[in-house]
Amino acid sequence: MTIRNFFTTALLAAALTAPVLNLQSAPAATNLTEESRRKEAEMLAVLRSDKPLGEKAIACKMLAVFGSRDAVPDLAALLTNEQLSSWARIGLEAIPGAEADRALRQALGQVNGRLLVGVINSIGVRRDVGAISDLIERLHAADDEVAAAAAVALGRIGGERAAQALTRNLTQGTPSRMPGLAEGCIRCAEGFLADKQAAPAARLYETVRLAAVPKQKQLEATRGVILARGDAGIPLLMEQLKSADLELLAIGLRTARELPGRKATEALAGGLRAFAPERQPRVLLALADRNDAAALPTIVEAARTGSEELRLVAINVLERQGDVSVIPTLLETAGDQNTKLAQAAQASLVRLPGERVEADLLNRLQSAQGKTREVLIRVAGQRQMGAAIPLMVSATEAEEAGVRGAAVQAVGLIGGVAQLEPLVQRMQKTTVAAERDDLETALIAISGRTGAASVPALLPLVHNGQESVRVAALHALAAAGGPEALKVINATAVAEGDDALRDEAVRTLATWPNTWPEDGAIVEPLLALARGGAKTSHQVLALRGYLQYVQGNRNLGQPNKIAAVREVLPLIKRPDEKRLVISVVDSLADPAVVDLLVEFGGDAAVKEDACAALVKLCGRKNSGLDAAVRRKGLEAAAEKTGNEDLRKRARSQAAEI
Amino acid sequence: MQYQNALKAKTAHGLASTSHSPALESRAFSRRRFLRATLQAGAILALPQIVPGAVLGKNGAVAPSERIVLGAIGIGNRGSYVLGCFLEEPDVQFVAIADVKAGRRKAVKDRADAKYGNQDCQTYRDLRELLARQDIDAVLIATGPNWHGLASMLSANAGKDVYCEKPCTKNIVESLALAQTFRRTGRVFQAGTQRRSLPNFAFAVDLAQRGKLGRLHTLHAHPGGLDPKTSGWAEPQTVPDKDDVDWDLYLGPAAYRPFNKGFLDGFNFEKGGGLTGGGCLEWGSHCVDLCQWANSADHTAPVEYEPKGKELHAVYANGVRLVLRNDGWIGLGSCPVRFEGDKGWIETGDDGEIAASSPALLTGKGAKVSGYPANFHVRDFLDCVKTRAHTRADADAACWAHIACHAANISLFLNRQVKYDPVKNEFIGDEAANRLRSEALREPWRI
Repeated sequence: MTIRNFFTTALLAAALTAPVLNLQSAPAATNLTEESRRKEAEMLAVLRSDKPLGEKAIACKMLAVFGSRDAVPDLAALLTNEQLSSWARIGLEAIPGAEADRALRQALGQVNGRLLVGVINSIGVRRDVGAISDLIERLHAADDEVAAAAAVALGRIGGERAAQALTRNLTQGTPSRMPGLAEGCIRCAEGFLADKQAAPAARLYETVRLAAVPKQKQLEATRGVILARGDAGIPLLMEQLKSADLELLAIGLRTARELPGRKATEALAGGLRAFAPERQPRVLLALADRNDAAALPTIVEAARTGSEELRLVAINVLERQGDVSVIPTLLETAGDQNTKLAQAAQASLVRLPGERVEADLLNRLQSAQGKTREVLIRVAGQRQMGAAIPLMVSATEAEEAGVRGAAVQAVGLIGGVAQLEPLVQRMQKTTVAAERDDLETALIAISGRTGAASVPALLPLVHNGQESVRVAALHALAAAGGPEALKVINATAVAEGDDALRDEAVRTLATWPNTWPEDGAIVEPLLALARGGAKTSHQVLALRGYLQYVQGNRNLGQPNKIAAVREVLPLIKRPDEKRLVISVVDSLADPAVVDLLVEFGGDAAVKEDACAALVKLCGRKNSGLDAAVRRKGLEAAAEKTGNEDLRKRARSQAAEI
Repeated sequence: MQYQNALKAKTAHGLASTSHSPALESRAFSRRRFLRATLQAGAILALPQIVPGAVLGKNGAVAPSERIVLGAIGIGNRGSYVLGCFLEEPDVQFVAIADVKAGRRKAVKDRADAKYGNQDCQTYRDLRELLARQDIDAVLIATGPNWHGLASMLSANAGKDVYCEKPCTKNIVESLALAQTFRRTGRVFQAGTQRRSLPNFAFAVDLAQRGKLGRLHTLHAHPGGLDPKTSGWAEPQTVPDKDDVDWDLYLGPAAYRPFNKGFLDGFNFEKGGGLTGGGCLEWGSHCVDLCQWANSADHTAPVEYEPKGKELHAVYANGVRLVLRNDGWIGLGSCPVRFEGDKGWIETGDDGEIAASSPALLTGKGAKVSGYPANFHVRDFLDCVKTRAHTRADADAACWAHIACHAANISLFLNRQVKYDPVKNEFIGDEAANRLRSEALREPWRI
């Protein structure tokens, strides 16, 4: 469960305790346009005709948008029609004015069973005060469904008279009537709350809470009583949170998030440790979701002491709820022996919001030592605190390996061209393999971000005495990209001498990362290596790199891609490269591609790949290939493939051409 | 642009492993390593932390008291997938399926019984029978959208927590009723908008919310079509046996029409109320929802909506624009969103990749997850069932995201600008639009 955005939670909390929404605003006076009038007349003509029921149904629906009181009689006449009653109510529920109310009321005496339930439901939606007597009468209907509908409709309409009727029946009713009556009472209470009448709302909720109603209604009433009572509801809230009944605990945890006010926060915070230990994390989460600053000391204390679970929850909460004051606690915990706690605390430090937080972290970093310094450097890097870069750079020379490693990583994360020189110097000095790897990663990261501007700073590494450093230089240069970097790497790839370094240079060219695949400058070196590389492996790698470039470059149009592939076809001997060619061309709708795939279909090693590509390419009706070419490709695939399913598909698609 | 392409670059790592070059294996340099180094140096923790499972009692073996007993309502294609996500969770005990279609009831029972090695999964034609069971804690609702909202509210009223597929509601009033019902009942709700639980979308939203893009000014959502779809009345056909397909229950809250098997495609039936629904609801419930989240607008909706050519433009009260458009995306998979501020932009989609105006923005973007799995979202729901906290896509968030989609659809249906007051929940001086906020439910159903 994520600790939510507290800003959102705060707004939600306000919404949760706001007066109940009136789902159906009081209808306004009709102000429809002439166009609406015209449409209304059309729809009424349909209703008055002998047109099919389907057309009449849609007419009812359109009258919900365009109908006026003039449409009411025609719609009302359909309320007794089992097939069209629901459609008619779509219109009647929406049309403003007393006419529709009267029509629905009159229908109460004309329909029974489900149709009557529907009419009552619509009256409830329209909140027709004039129907209260009729609805009270139907609380005693023989049909439970009708009585429940009446109770809920009364609840929606609300007011003292409805409340009295519902309460009276609730205390005297039979079990089958309780769910509807309880729902009616609760909706009625919501209406009181919406009108800022907390006292009658609380009384009504309490009546339901103590009545023999279904458990869910009891829970809703419990929540309602607490919210309606406000601060006076706190004891009842705490009672739920301590309850052995898990359903009561559950409604307590939800309500604890809703009940507004500082006193509720204080009660929850002050009482936290009185709950059973296994319950404390959940109560703390609820407390945190209130987004009340008064809870902060309790959350900080929970982050320091208590069960591991409670501390983890508290630390997680602090990343959103905390401020500059919680930094010491989080820093201390980030150095804890318990790695779960330490990691959680560091993560919270990374996300802790506020400019004052960054200023405080920076200030601490200037004098920090040991583990704290390491944590602060990591946090500063991950927070992308540019102001901390000088401190990070100086820490790359620290005595402690942990601090140095954190510093190199942090500089790699946010450093720029200016930070390459100290990293390069460090790279030339270190003899520790792990540190060299960290430095290489940082150099690649910075070079990748800053591009060709980083090349001059990297060049000293190219001539370093250690091979691993020269390899790292190649990688960083490749990450930088650009003509100068390419020149250096290509020169290494074709130079006599260090064989392993040359291999790595070829490999780096073949996986040229920066500006790939738009960097067309890589083409010539790759083609040259593919044609005349010193080793077969160099030729193969270069060829593959070249084909990948062709495949990935969106700027190359279809004809250029085909031409580019054709240029290297004489060099392609191995099945692996042929497969790569197939993957490059299998979406290029061109007769030459079909010919090539047909040719590859004759090579036992790749025939299935070629046949599958032919079916993919030629099977598409809208591929752009003409019918004869498509048929040729599909027939070739059907003839050459050993896959029976593919053959069937090829033949079937050929037959459809 | 080059940066976006680099992000999408296929790694060449595997290609280097040829039989001719064993010596080249040791210190492989690849585009993947380049990207990792460039974007993720250090152990970055950019996303909000989650409460450890230990807090929630799911450390390995699950005590009976911590087990969540689950039922399902309406399980077709999508539901089958999401149910699979639930069944993978060790603290879920699935016990019952309610579906109006016999074939689906049997398929789910067979699957559950095979998993548990018993015959205990109970089947129900009528969801009310399932909801009457006191032993069921939570339900997965994956009916067609016609039933989503009503079934969710019936479930909450019956004391169940709810994971419901989207779109969750048919109109504005139903959206408000959904939120209010879950407040009233104290039940946990999770809309099936699983992208809220996926790292690429969460990362993009986090950047927007934390001001890393500067002052937000425009949010882009891909609605997957802006055409309204109308569910009407079709030629009557022979009504199947009630046990095979319960047509009356299938119609549920939708106005009556005679049986026609063409309507049994529950995916589209009565979506968005059957008058103004369609693509905007189908995909907007995801991508508009993500824009709402990015704009910290889970408690409100845009105040103006206007069709503009092939697009729909909306404006929030804070001045941020929301653009619903089908074209012009970078190509990062389905359901893309794009957030733009005065200091940068970020765009992501279902393939899990993220493109941004600057590589620095992508620091700490974390592991790529593509294919929009629902597992994380399901887990979030289950955890919240235990803590009673609000889920990532709770009823309020779903309510307002859906209101935004419904209001957009109403603007499209009326083919003009409409202005919405999210406090009063009414269109301003616009009776036609206001009448489209709700629709009567067929008897005996109510919300």
